[in-house]
Amino acid sequence: MNYDTATSAMPKPKATTRPQAKQRKAFSARMRGVKPYLYLLPVVLSLGFWVYRPLLQTFQLSFYQWNLLPTTPKTYVGWQNFKNLLTLPEMGKALTNTLIYTIGVIPFSLILPLFIAVFTDSIGGRARNVYRALIFVPMIMAPVAVSSVWRWIMHPTNGILNQTLGWLGLDEPIRFFTDERWAIYSITFITGWKLIGFSTLIFSAALTGVNKEYYEAAKIDRANRWQIFRHITLPLLSPSILFMGMLSILFASEWSFSYVNVLTQGGPLGSTTNIYYLLWQYGFQTFAVGWSSAAAVVLFIGFGLIALGFMNLSKRLSFFDD
Amino acid sequence: MNTKKLKASAIGKHAVLIALCFLAVFPLYWMINTSFKPAGEVFSASLWPKTWTLDNYRDAWNAIPMARMIGNSLLVAIAQTFTQLITSILAAYAFTRWNFRGSGIIYGLIGLTWLVPFQVIMIPNYVVISNMGWKDTLTGLIVPNIASAFAVIQLYNAFKAFPKTLIEAAHLDGASDWSVLWRTIVPNLKAPIASIGILQFITAWNDYFWPLLVTNKLENSTMQKGLQMFMSSEANLWGPLMAATTIACLPVLIIYLLLQRQIIDSFVKGGLR
Repeated sequence: MNYDTATSAMPKPKATTRPQAKQRKAFSARMRGVKPYLYLLPVVLSLGFWVYRPLLQTFQLSFYQWNLLPTTPKTYVGWQNFKNLLTLPEMGKALTNTLIYTIGVIPFSLILPLFIAVFTDSIGGRARNVYRALIFVPMIMAPVAVSSVWRWIMHPTNGILNQTLGWLGLDEPIRFFTDERWAIYSITFITGWKLIGFSTLIFSAALTGVNKEYYEAAKIDRANRWQIFRHITLPLLSPSILFMGMLSILFASEWSFSYVNVLTQGGPLGSTTNIYYLLWQYGFQTFAVGWSSAAAVVLFIGFGLIALGFMNLSKRLSFFDD
Repeated sequence: MNTKKLKASAIGKHAVLIALCFLAVFPLYWMINTSFKPAGEVFSASLWPKTWTLDNYRDAWNAIPMARMIGNSLLVAIAQTFTQLITSILAAYAFTRWNFRGSGIIYGLIGLTWLVPFQVIMIPNYVVISNMGWKDTLTGLIVPNIASAFAVIQLYNAFKAFPKTLIEAAHLDGASDWSVLWRTIVPNLKAPIASIGILQFITAWNDYFWPLLVTNKLENSTMQKGLQMFMSSEANLWGPLMAATTIACLPVLIIYLLLQRQIIDSFVKGGLR
């Protein structure tokens, strides 16, 4: 879950063998050399087989036409699947929606948590622990259960939300999941609801690590609140902000997938579909494996580029408190 | 003047946090509240059931093979947690104990698997599972998840902090690498290993996509898929649906009630360094 550790562990010194008694050296040195790989074998084999093999196969399948049936042969179609992607009508909609989800989740994953964390930084003691425990609850709940509960709360006629809005003077109940103007925002809200507490806790934890002397110094220099936030808090939190930003941008649409699948199935009128849901539909509903794979390849490459960009950014921007 | 201002700002802070807590917990509360209301009361907005009933739980229990699915979910989640912990302990030990050729690259490749979205690799994996005849089996649910990059990275960080002198001391006593791992390191790192295990259990229990693909019959499926099936077939039985949802959340909620501090800490640490 952590790219910092993943990349910082990359440059490791070369293997070194210690001098030993001569006659035993050959065998035991070879054993020593093999040993680490034996310990790694289960993880490497498993991830290799269940992540890297399918990844390569997806690349391969993106050049074929196939309907997922073992009895029908795969036919090679070259770049045709990729060309089709550009012309498929659902594609434009799915990409626009992916963008809406990605941008729509940012207030919940970055902006609100950041301000709440900074604003409530000085709360301590028992109250803090109670708040932490409650705020975190959405994170541990299963996506299907979350969908089920929100569907009930947001039910057009009997849901508590519409009843409350009715008391507050709303004439027409909002059909949160069946009105095409609302559905995508309802899904975005649920996705964000699950994240907001987690993100707040990440920023709070990062803030408690900040050396308070910076604030004292800034106050002596008569910096105002905004200046302190802009020039001290923000740079010091930049590693966490970039991390949450990357997480949010890369995974917002993926996280919304289960809500889309359970609550709207991409509808009404394709208004909640996104690129992940399209992959799913091509793969397991229309059985267009080639299309699904081609879209997956494009998605994966886009993903990789965004992640790479973020890693570069965090190397350049991060301001470490040393 | 100053203390007044201070007090006002403290009230403001608590108000913001209470609002956030309300937002976070209300759905859970509403779920439990509805699940205990009798059919006639479900549509009322009362904050508490006037008469408590277990009918919803009985109906939900009879509508779908609940016991089987809970059993399946538990079995799958425990098996995944256990195998993931063992494979990750071995890997983390290799990375921290020895300097060997390619360790950086292997670690990087393990970490990068985290970047691969499920939907990108689901078709080839589905094909393998059905070719092996593992569709609709618990084996098909468990085997693809015996290793977890997240667990490897988390355990690597825990192992890295383990004092080298203790390992050297055990070595001088004539302990083999294998027994150093299981007799010296693992017993001393019980706490971090347990909290990573809890996270893996929660993740496995909550998983929904893979059971959705691999299983057909409800008897062979997990609680999450069963809940989704129940939701789409019994569209307006809100009382039983909330009861089923409560049951689907129960194990994780119980664990959370007992161990929330460790769970939060390890989640947050997973997001930091």
